[in-house]
Amino acid sequence: MSGFNPYSVIFYGLGLIVLASSLLAVTRRNPVHAVMYLIASFLGTAAIFYLLGAPLLAALEAILYAGAFMVLFLFIIMTVKPEAEGKRGRARARRWLLPAALAGVSLFLVLILVGADPGGRTLLPAAMAQPAAFGRVLFERYWFSIEVASFLLFVALVGALYLGRRMEDPTEPTVGGER
Amino acid sequence: MIVPFGHVLILAGAVFLIGAVCTMAHRNLIMILVGVEIMLNAAGLAFVAGSLHWWRLDGQAFVIFIMAAAASEVAVGLALFVYSERRTGSMDADDYDVLKG
Amino acid sequence: MRATLILILLFPLAGAMINVLAGRYISRRLSATVACGAVLGALIMALFGAAAGTSHQPVDVYRWIAVGEFQASMSLLFDATAALMALVVTFVSFIIHVYSAAFMRDDEGYVRYFVYLNLFVFAMLVVALADNLVFVYLGWEGVGFCSYALIGFWYGDARNVSAGRKAFLLTRIGDVAFGVALALCFLWYQSFSISNITTHTQDLTIGMATLLGLLFLWAALGKSAQLPLSVWLPDAMAGPTPVSALIHAATMVAAGAYLLIRMFPVLSLSPAVLLAAAVIGAVTALYSALAALAQTDIKRILAYSTVSQVAYMFLAVGAGDIVGGMFLLISHAFFKALLFLAAGCVIQALADEHDIFRMGNLKKYLPGVYWLFLIGVLCLSAFPLIGGFFSKDRILLALFIHPEPIYKLLWLMGFIGALLTPLYAMRLFFIVFSDRPEGGRKSEVKPIPKLMVLVLWPLAVLALFDGLLNLPFGPGKRWLAHYMSSVPGAIVDLGASSAMSWALGLLDSILVLVVIAGSYFLFRTPQKTQRGSWVHRLLFSGFHLDRLYDRVLVVPYQAISKFLWVQVDAGGLDRGVEAGAGTIASFSVVLNLWNTGRLSTYLITFFLGFVALLYFLVLVWLGL
Repeated sequence: MSGFNPYSVIFYGLGLIVLASSLLAVTRRNPVHAVMYLIASFLGTAAIFYLLGAPLLAALEAILYAGAFMVLFLFIIMTVKPEAEGKRGRARARRWLLPAALAGVSLFLVLILVGADPGGRTLLPAAMAQPAAFGRVLFERYWFSIEVASFLLFVALVGALYLGRRMEDPTEPTVGGER
Repeated sequence: MIVPFGHVLILAGAVFLIGAVCTMAHRNLIMILVGVEIMLNAAGLAFVAGSLHWWRLDGQAFVIFIMAAAASEVAVGLALFVYSERRTGSMDADDYDVLKG
Repeated sequence: MRATLILILLFPLAGAMINVLAGRYISRRLSATVACGAVLGALIMALFGAAAGTSHQPVDVYRWIAVGEFQASMSLLFDATAALMALVVTFVSFIIHVYSAAFMRDDEGYVRYFVYLNLFVFAMLVVALADNLVFVYLGWEGVGFCSYALIGFWYGDARNVSAGRKAFLLTRIGDVAFGVALALCFLWYQSFSISNITTHTQDLTIGMATLLGLLFLWAALGKSAQLPLSVWLPDAMAGPTPVSALIHAATMVAAGAYLLIRMFPVLSLSPAVLLAAAVIGAVTALYSALAALAQTDIKRILAYSTVSQVAYMFLAVGAGDIVGGMFLLISHAFFKALLFLAAGCVIQALADEHDIFRMGNLKKYLPGVYWLFLIGVLCLSAFPLIGGFFSKDRILLALFIHPEPIYKLLWLMGFIGALLTPLYAMRLFFIVFSDRPEGGRKSEVKPIPKLMVLVLWPLAVLALFDGLLNLPFGPGKRWLAHYMSSVPGAIVDLGASSAMSWALGLLDSILVLVVIAGSYFLFRTPQKTQRGSWVHRLLFSGFHLDRLYDRVLVVPYQAISKFLWVQVDAGGLDRGVEAGAGTIASFSVVLNLWNTGRLSTYLITFFLGFVALLYFLVLVWLGL
């Protein structure tokens, strides 16, 4: 921890918020609670983006992730009303064991990797990317990817519309069955 | 000067692993999708840090595309969720085990 | 000449092939005609060949196997013994083929029978004519196979099949020795040619000659059914009677003696081998003559008689007199075939009856057969001046004048055997044909085709007068011996003083007549011997030889076999393999627990791979 300048304090605080809210979101039984915590996490991430010099992305993060995706999640949750995973709770702890262990091992490995790299020790400069410059880079160099991404969104739209349509004969629901 | 580059990466990695655990450990389909969102977000964070470290805007451009992919994935994923819930009445991923051999 | 010799072999082979390919589509008559015609053709060719003269040069027919130094060409050696053997084999085979055409008239396997019979004649002629020992081996095995096929001809009855198998196994035991002898010949001579080997015996050491001689002797023992490999011949009577006549009387069993005669120059180098042959001959002659005295089946008596007579051929070889051996071979072929075929007439006339004690009164119902049988039996008994008398006389003389003192003992054994022979022969004759109240009645006697009786007369004439071949006196004196004089090892004149030969001959004749007369009184009213007496059981079962072999060889072999099967194969190997398969299966079951079909499982698996990658990345990064 070199340098206790104001930026680093802000960063560590925001990082703590993000981590804590992510953890909380993950461990909730009620999906609505989880989504709430997740919104907090995303807002924290947006702030970190701004700190790291990406104001446009920070705005987009807040608008898209926190504002659109999570709202969509809430819509679906409210519509379908999934039951909270209350049943069979005793086995619940056992399900977490293996993933948690694996995640712990991975974290350890990541720490080694990052610690071993001299480049990881350089301090990030404080900077701000001008939206105009960013836009120029985006549309000059990556215009094709922009087109593809828009096409991707279009396809997703069509797919979502098709999958979500009302059926004429709803058949008897069966567990694990499909058409 | 903000923080060492490595610290941001560690943060991104930790958030990514949290998302991975969420995907692996939950049975509810919604929570699995939540985990995927967390992971995508963490990847974006890493990109932004890298973009600042190497002083190129390409990293930030890529975050745009990550967001586009995440958007389409959320849309289709939730549509699938609604569809399969209508077909089978179950939101438990463990119940979709027809491929069990 | 070459063409003639090739045709001798090709005729019967062609006959067999024609019947194999076309026999199903042509009439029975045509099948039989083809078969008989094939043998007739071989006979005519043999006559031509003999008339053209014999030679000691081998005639190459076909370059069969040639691998480096190993040359096994199909070459023929048409010397005096071969000419004689070919003539005898083809003539007797011809008679038997014609007989069979009538004998097997009601049988379903008519064509199959003639195929095998022709094939047998081909193989036997190969043995008779071949010069190359590997070629002889081909014929040797061929006769063994045909014998097996023909003994078990009526394979519906399992007993016939096992009789055939028994014959095959026992001759096989002899054939092993033949194979070893072949290898030794190649090692020593680099050649398999009989003419080459027998004219170069000076290259052999006494030890090698003894070894080779013993091996050939063992092979001959198997084929000729001498002790200790004699037990298959009585059981081989399960086959049709003409088969017994051809294979087990006239030709195949003589093949062993024939082989020894052909290889005599090698054997004669080793007095030990000759002594062994003579001892085996003497013991077997006595053994089988005694066993024949107690038998009740008409064919079994004749079978034991064959063993006994072939033993005399071995005695001849052992005494060094291959002319005598060949002489007896020829005579025996004629009268034994005659006897078997006549017995076949009786058997068919009485609706397949084999027990002599259920026959009788046949003189008036089967007069032709009566006289034929009488001729045969008299020849067998060495009735003075006919048939087998001169051959047996010569053999006994050769034994008597042999310088080694032990041969006197062997002469005595042979002499006693020569007296037992008329005893069992006349017993057979009287019991079968004599008039007695409980014997056969007219109603029981079925008519038999005249052909079967008619065709035997030429054989009877030859049997009666074949003594003329080698009379010790008179104008055609020792014609056979002179004919064979060019064969290496043949002695023309035994060198006994004429006084001794006359004395022995006279002694022999008188005693034979006495025995014949005595047996007339003994067996005129036959009574079955009490079954209980141990002597009778001993003789009836052939000195319990079958039981001995069963106890000593078969039972342990089967025990070992069962052990290896149950414990080692099924228990050990099979279970081991199954256990191996089982472990793989259970491993697979364990592995299948991973296959839950649930998304979370697969996601965790993905992540596991990710962790592994990370780990390796760390290793690489840190330079480990």
